[in-house]
Amino acid sequence: MSVLGESLVRTDAAGKLTGEARYTVDYDARDLLHGALLRSPVPAGRIKAIDTAAAESLPGVRCVVTARDVPDTLAGWVLRETPLFAGKQVRFEGEPLAGVAADTPEQAKAAIAAIKLDIAETEAVGDMKAALTENAPLVHPEWKSYQPTSGEDYPRYGNIASELVADNDDVDVAFQNADLIVEDEFTSNRQYQAYIEPKSAVGIYRDGRYTIHTGHQYPFNIRDRVAQYLAVRPSQVRVIGHSIGGGFGAKLDTGLEPYAAIMSKLAGGRPVKLVNNRTEDMLTCPSRENATMKIRSALDKQGNLLGRELICHMDNGAYSGEMAFMPSVIFHLAGSVYKVGNIRVIARLVYTNTAPTGAMRGVCGVYFSAFQERHMDHIADELGVDRREYRLNNLVKSGDSLLNGQVLDDADLLRKGFEKMEEAAPWKQQDKNKKNWHGIGIAAGTWITNSMPGSVQLKLNEDGSITVVTAATDNGSGAVSMGITQIVAEHFGLTADDIVVTMPDTDVAGYDGGSQGSRTTHIVGRAAGIAADELKGMIFDVAAGMLEAGKDDLEMVDGQVGVVGDPTSRMPLGDIATAATWSRGPLSASGSYTTEPVPFNPGCASGMLFPYFPTPTYHVHFAEVEVNPVTGNVRVVRYIVVQEVGRVINPAGVRGQIQGAVVQGIGHALYESLRIRGARYLERSLEAYRLPLAVDMPEVEIITMEHPHSLGPFGAKGVGEPAIILAPAVIACAVSDALGKPFNRIPVSPEEVLEAIVEKEKQG
Amino acid sequence: MELIFRVNGRSERLELQGHETLLDVLRNDLCLTGTKDGCREGECGACTVLVNGRAVDSCIYAAMAAYDADIETVEGLAKNAGLNSLQNAFAESGGVQCGFCTPGFLMMLTALLDKYPHPDRDLVRDALSGNICRCTGYAQIEEAVARHVEQRSGE
Repeated sequence: MSVLGESLVRTDAAGKLTGEARYTVDYDARDLLHGALLRSPVPAGRIKAIDTAAAESLPGVRCVVTARDVPDTLAGWVLRETPLFAGKQVRFEGEPLAGVAADTPEQAKAAIAAIKLDIAETEAVGDMKAALTENAPLVHPEWKSYQPTSGEDYPRYGNIASELVADNDDVDVAFQNADLIVEDEFTSNRQYQAYIEPKSAVGIYRDGRYTIHTGHQYPFNIRDRVAQYLAVRPSQVRVIGHSIGGGFGAKLDTGLEPYAAIMSKLAGGRPVKLVNNRTEDMLTCPSRENATMKIRSALDKQGNLLGRELICHMDNGAYSGEMAFMPSVIFHLAGSVYKVGNIRVIARLVYTNTAPTGAMRGVCGVYFSAFQERHMDHIADELGVDRREYRLNNLVKSGDSLLNGQVLDDADLLRKGFEKMEEAAPWKQQDKNKKNWHGIGIAAGTWITNSMPGSVQLKLNEDGSITVVTAATDNGSGAVSMGITQIVAEHFGLTADDIVVTMPDTDVAGYDGGSQGSRTTHIVGRAAGIAADELKGMIFDVAAGMLEAGKDDLEMVDGQVGVVGDPTSRMPLGDIATAATWSRGPLSASGSYTTEPVPFNPGCASGMLFPYFPTPTYHVHFAEVEVNPVTGNVRVVRYIVVQEVGRVINPAGVRGQIQGAVVQGIGHALYESLRIRGARYLERSLEAYRLPLAVDMPEVEIITMEHPHSLGPFGAKGVGEPAIILAPAVIACAVSDALGKPFNRIPVSPEEVLEAIVEKEKQG
Repeated sequence: MELIFRVNGRSERLELQGHETLLDVLRNDLCLTGTKDGCREGECGACTVLVNGRAVDSCIYAAMAAYDADIETVEGLAKNAGLNSLQNAFAESGGVQCGFCTPGFLMMLTALLDKYPHPDRDLVRDALSGNICRCTGYAQIEEAVARHVEQRSGE
């Protein structure tokens, strides 16, 4: 019986429903110490003194650590620029200055309060505008001395942390010859990932090695970053995964892990646990970056796009993490949905004295799509043509290329997506029938399946079950507890009950690129398939001898091996495994996979750190909103997703990813926002940071398009992210439609809505 | 100070300082770590437990206020036969993703369903106004409640 396309219950459901599941915050040990961090109270300043003498002598304190006690080195995903503790210079509010480990959390907190801090506050570079002002103070005056973590250096200077430029002289010609120029300026605020388990970590130093317990999306990245900070070989760090209480991109790089590790060493090897309180978590979380974008389009009389200029500024905060890649993503997105002709793209990542930003689900695609789709609506309105029609006339097609020259083989799926959407919600009819204060929006997008490598070892157990050893993580998505489990079960005709997947352990499992970029089911599922084929070969070898048959005459059915066409010859996998173990040795096989590099033109832009857009998927969204003219609140009345998925492995899982992503997107579209004033966040608690509640949300109508990918596991591609990238786009377009006013800021705030209504009434 | 109360039907007697929250007592003193600490400000609902049948945010509930009370936590839901009907409905509907909010949702819904065995969708949504789920977007949680109600009606 096939388990593909079945909504099997996720393997970790029972543990999570009974309270048995152990998250990092639940870690305990008899000798456990509790850590706390002293964090900078100012966004920018010079550290004159940190006096820890009083703290060290307090009861229960086992170690106090500052920059003086750790290796004098810098670490970073892309650039070695980040110190573990600020030693001389503070660059954002919340930056760690010192740490304490003590017998109880209260003692640790008391010791932190006893540390005497002398900081001379300096002028903070509070936002991108300030950073880009001539003679602005530099967030990193020593930027020239920083070294890339690997490979060649890339374009960066002053307060610019990373820059992509794709220039084209024909763009200026296009604007000179244009009959119509449409110009927009957009902004988008930061979004907090708001996982419900705050960041936490346990560090243990023993036998000269560091062991880290953490519920983390990317254990091998933790291994490598901790090794950088503590100046040891990566193999001297072992990272053990736990259940993850949500991540959404925020748990891809180190948070508290290196602090827990070094404090354990200084405290004589006792385990040290660190848990952020919610305010610390918000102040230091690598949130989705705020951004601005100017788009100018040159058109001829018929509305054909002659040229476009796109200038995007993204707020890096004080340190880069993985953000240096993002300008490249903007570049790829710029040509991924609509034909753009001659285009100039300038995308800059800008240092500010604010919390470092980072990855959140759908990275820059979320605001990029909102900006692009609003611009498309604007052009259509200027031309006096239907918004949907205008999109259809400008869609990229199969065989068209991204701006890097990468050919999109399946881009016609975008058109197919519009057709599917039309069946569910005929556009003209929706438009005609919409009530007063209602508006509709439609948007299209292309998204990636991240290519990073993954690996799997399959062990056939003597009871006929299979253990899957992998460092792939299930951040809650079901990629492992449904996806990998069902893929392995399917290869052997087993049920999910016959599959055991280990928790990640970097000492045991092969490298894995982490739960990011919608990659796990596709990449690790493929690796599992490769391992399964090899293991099946071994099983057939053994079974052939036991059944006295030719290897090629065997088949595997429902967890049994038999001769093709002879139902009486079936032999359970357990018998074969036992025979193998005691004759030739236990059976196991490994598989590794990473997407093959995609051909592209390396000369198309400078600063292209992320060179291509692997295994794209295609998407169309529709939303209808209702604006409340009294409160300015916006309610989403209807929301439809057409999503290309390759192949559905578990329908309940796919639905959960799409519904969950859309709701996060609606949250950002309408209220989720970390606002910055004076280089500090205004929102510092979950009370202030509004998150979507059950009462707010529509039930998303989901239409999946299956288009099996030749290299995906049974055809599956990435599913987790794409549904968030178009939500702010369709909502902003729909609100603009409802009020006949452009909404070019994300989130669309009630204040802005009311302002537009008042203005509209004035105009009569 | 002495706290005497019942947790999941068992009598417990603890010596406390007096300022502890119910959440800390459950997690630290009784090792009932199924109840989660998400925000410590009564916003996220991950710490929801029942005090004499009423759902409270245990992170802002003084432990001593539970003197002589009956406390129910997520650990008390599954009986010997396995998951209870609501837990099963969550599993089957895909109402669990990362799982960190799940114990709070289960306890809030247990309180609701005890009072209103056949809640309509609006009532369910209203009841969940104090519980944040960041993963599911709520649809499959609402469906789990509907599935549970339907299955229980069929019994």
